[in-house]
Amino acid sequence: MNRPLYINAAAVLNAAGSECADLLGTPPVPQPLTFDLQRKALALPVPRLASDLFDRKIQRSVEPQGLRLLHCAARLAPALAALQLPAARIALTAAIPEVDAPSPCWDAVQAILEQPHKQLSQLLANTPPLHALTLLNSSVMAYVAEALNCHGPMGGFCSQDNAGLDALIEACQQIAERHADAALVVSSSPNLTPALYLREPDLADEPVYGEGAAALLLSSKPLQDATQVLRVAGFARGYSADPQRTLAVGKRVIERALSKEKLCVGDVANLVANPADRQLMSLFESTPQCLRSVSAMTGELGASGLLTEVAMTLHHSREAGAVPGYTLLVSHGRAGHWGALLLASENLEKYA
Amino acid sequence: MRAREVYVSGFGLVAPMALDAATLFERICRKQSCVREHPRFQALGFRNSAAGFIDEAQWQKIAAGFGGNAALHPRQSVLAEYVARQALQHAGLTPADFAHSRSGLFLGANKYCADSDDLQRVSRCMDDAGRVDLDRLLDHPAPSGSAFVRRVDQQTQHLADWLGIRDCISTHSDACAAGTMAIGSAFRAIERGEVDLAICGAVELMANELPYYMFNSLGALCQADLPAGEQSRPFMPDRSGFVLSEGAALVILESAEHARRRKARPLGRVLGYANVCEAQKMTSSSRDGSKYEECMDAAIEDAGLLRSAVQHVNTHGTSTQANDSCEALALQRLFGECQDFMTFTANKSAMGHSLAGSGAIEAVLSLMTLRDGVLLPTLNYEPERAEYPSLKFLSEPMRQSINVVMSNSFGFGGVNSSLVLGRA
Repeated sequence: MNRPLYINAAAVLNAAGSECADLLGTPPVPQPLTFDLQRKALALPVPRLASDLFDRKIQRSVEPQGLRLLHCAARLAPALAALQLPAARIALTAAIPEVDAPSPCWDAVQAILEQPHKQLSQLLANTPPLHALTLLNSSVMAYVAEALNCHGPMGGFCSQDNAGLDALIEACQQIAERHADAALVVSSSPNLTPALYLREPDLADEPVYGEGAAALLLSSKPLQDATQVLRVAGFARGYSADPQRTLAVGKRVIERALSKEKLCVGDVANLVANPADRQLMSLFESTPQCLRSVSAMTGELGASGLLTEVAMTLHHSREAGAVPGYTLLVSHGRAGHWGALLLASENLEKYA
Repeated sequence: MRAREVYVSGFGLVAPMALDAATLFERICRKQSCVREHPRFQALGFRNSAAGFIDEAQWQKIAAGFGGNAALHPRQSVLAEYVARQALQHAGLTPADFAHSRSGLFLGANKYCADSDDLQRVSRCMDDAGRVDLDRLLDHPAPSGSAFVRRVDQQTQHLADWLGIRDCISTHSDACAAGTMAIGSAFRAIERGEVDLAICGAVELMANELPYYMFNSLGALCQADLPAGEQSRPFMPDRSGFVLSEGAALVILESAEHARRRKARPLGRVLGYANVCEAQKMTSSSRDGSKYEECMDAAIEDAGLLRSAVQHVNTHGTSTQANDSCEALALQRLFGECQDFMTFTANKSAMGHSLAGSGAIEAVLSLMTLRDGVLLPTLNYEPERAEYPSLKFLSEPMRQSINVVMSNSFGFGGVNSSLVLGRA
C-alpha cells in the first residue's frame, strides 16, 4: 500500500449490545426462534433509526438486516463529518449477503396462508412500491450514501460470510489507489428466517446464529488529536473448496497479509480467529498468540462477523494501558474462503 | 500506457433468444427484438406480459451442456457454467489454466427471487399462528431450484470450484451496475498485479413474477399498449419504462504479459473504468445528468484519454423517462462538439433490461463492435422523432472501424459505472 490507512471509528450492534464494551460482558443466552421453538439463536429487535438522518419511510420499508446496517452507519456520521472531506472523496462499500429472499416473499407467504383462494397476482397487487427496492442491496447502500453524504466509489458484496472481507479490502484499495480519501464500510448479518436454516440444513454443524451489524470508518489520515492509531498493515484473501489444498491456501493468505510488514506469524501479538475452526487453528499451533473472538458473545454474524472483530480490535487498542502491536484477523468460511487482515496498533508519535 | 495492460481474450453470452454472442449480435443487426410475451405473465393475467426471457428450449440446450446433473443445481449455476465454457473455449483456455495461474472470479448478481410456486410451497408449511414449520420444510426439501434454498453467490461458488480459482472470488450486488462493476473490479485486480487471469461478468435471472410486481409497483416497467418487441424504446419521446429481461455474459481478462506468454490473440482491451455513488434519489439520478457525466468523465480520465477519443457509447438506455433524459443530458454536456463525430447505441431496445446481466452483455456487444467494426442499431428508434437529435443513435447497423467504446451502467440507488474499451 502506497498510502497509510487508518481505522478511525467503528460501530457495532449485536445481541451483546451496541457498544464494543458490551462484548466484554456476560454472553447473552440464545433464545428459541419464533418460527421454530426447537432452535435457538441470538436475535435482535429491529432498531429505530435516527430520524434526523433517515426519512421515516425508510424505517417502514427496509427489512431488518438493512435497518441494523443503517443504525450502525448512522453512528459514524459525526466521525465522518469531522474529516471535512468532499462527498466525492468518500467511498462506500457494503457487505449485505441476503439469505432470506426479500421481505415481500415472506409477506406473500403469509398472505397465501391467510387467503389461499386468491391468486398471487391479487395478493401482490398492493405491494408498497418501496418494497420493490428491497430486492436490491444497492437501495440500502443508497440510504447510507444519502444520509452520510458518501458520493465516491461504491461497491456492494454478497459472498455470504466472506462479504465483509471483500467490502473491507475494496475500501482499502479505493483509498490506497487515491480514488477516495476515506471510506465507510458497512455490513449486516442475515436475518434469522427459515431460509437461513434451509440453506444450511446440516444440523450437526449448525452454529448459533446471531443478528447484528457493524460499520467502520477508514481514512488516509488518523483522527485529529489521536495519540494511538489502528493502521491497516496488510490483507490477503484466497479460496479453495478442495480439502487437500485448503490449508496450503490458508497458509499462503496469512503469509501474504504479513509480507508487506515483513513479519512472520511469531511477530504477531494477537490473533483473532474462530477457536472452533480446527483447520484454522492448526496453522498457529507452533506459535501461541493471544487468541480472541467475540463469536460466543454475538453468535455467528456472517458478513458482519469480521467487521465486528475489527471494531473490537479498535476498542482494545484504545483501552488504557493498551500495548502497541500487531493483531492478525483470520477468517475461514465454510465455503472455502480464506481471509487475513493485519492491523497495527501504534503510537502516533512514530509518524510525527 | 498503464503499468499493466489488460486484454480481453474471450467471452460468452446467453440472452433471450440467443445462446451465444454471435447470435445476439446478428439478431440486433437484423433488428430482431428478443422481447416476447412471457407465457407465465400471460397465465397470471398481467396487464403487460412483455419480457425478455430464456425459454424452455434454450434451457434444455443449456442443461445439455452442463458438466453434471443440471436438475440438482440452481439454474443460475447451470447458466454460469454454460456461459463460462463458451468464454473459455473462445479464449483457448481450460479450467486448469485458472487453477494454475493467479486467477480471479468476479461475478455480478442480485437477489434470488422466489416465484409463486416457491411461495405456495412454503405457505403449506405454516401453522395457524403463521409460523413456518421448519422441520416439515426440511423433511420435504424444496427442489434445488427453489429460491428459498439458494444463496445469491451460489453460481460464483460453482464456477470457482469448477475452475479451481484460488486467489480472488467476489460476488457483486450493485443492482443494474453489478455486471459492469464486476468487470471493472477484475480489470483493477489485474492492473494492480493481484491476478493475471480473470473471468468476470454477471448472471441474472429475474424475469419472473415477483420482480415484475416490484418494479411495476415502482412504475418502472413499460406500460405502453404496444407489441412486445416495440416496448423498449430508449431515448424516444414516447418511452414509458423498461422491459424486464434476463441473461448472462462472462468475459476473460488477462494481463498483456499473460496473454503474450500463452500466445493468446487479444480481442480487445479494457482501457479505463470508474464507479461513482450518487444516491441523489432512489430510483433516478440527478436530473441534470451531472452525476452520470462525472462517472463517464472519470472513466475517460482513468483510461488516460481525451473525450474526443471516445467514438461510440453503448448507453445504459433503459427506456425509462428519468434514466434516458439524465443520460442524454450527461452525454450532450460531456461530449459537446465531439458528438458530431460519435455514434450511440442502446442495446436494451432489443433485449430489455436484465439488471446485473445487462452491463456484462453490453460489454460483450461493445467488444464485438470494436472487433468487427459494426455499429449496432437501436431498435424502435426513429431519428426524425428524436428527443435528443445531437446524439446519433443509429436505426440501421453501420459498418465503421472504431478504436474506443464506452459502456455505461447506472443502477438503482445511484450506483454508476462506466467502462472504456479499446480495440486490440
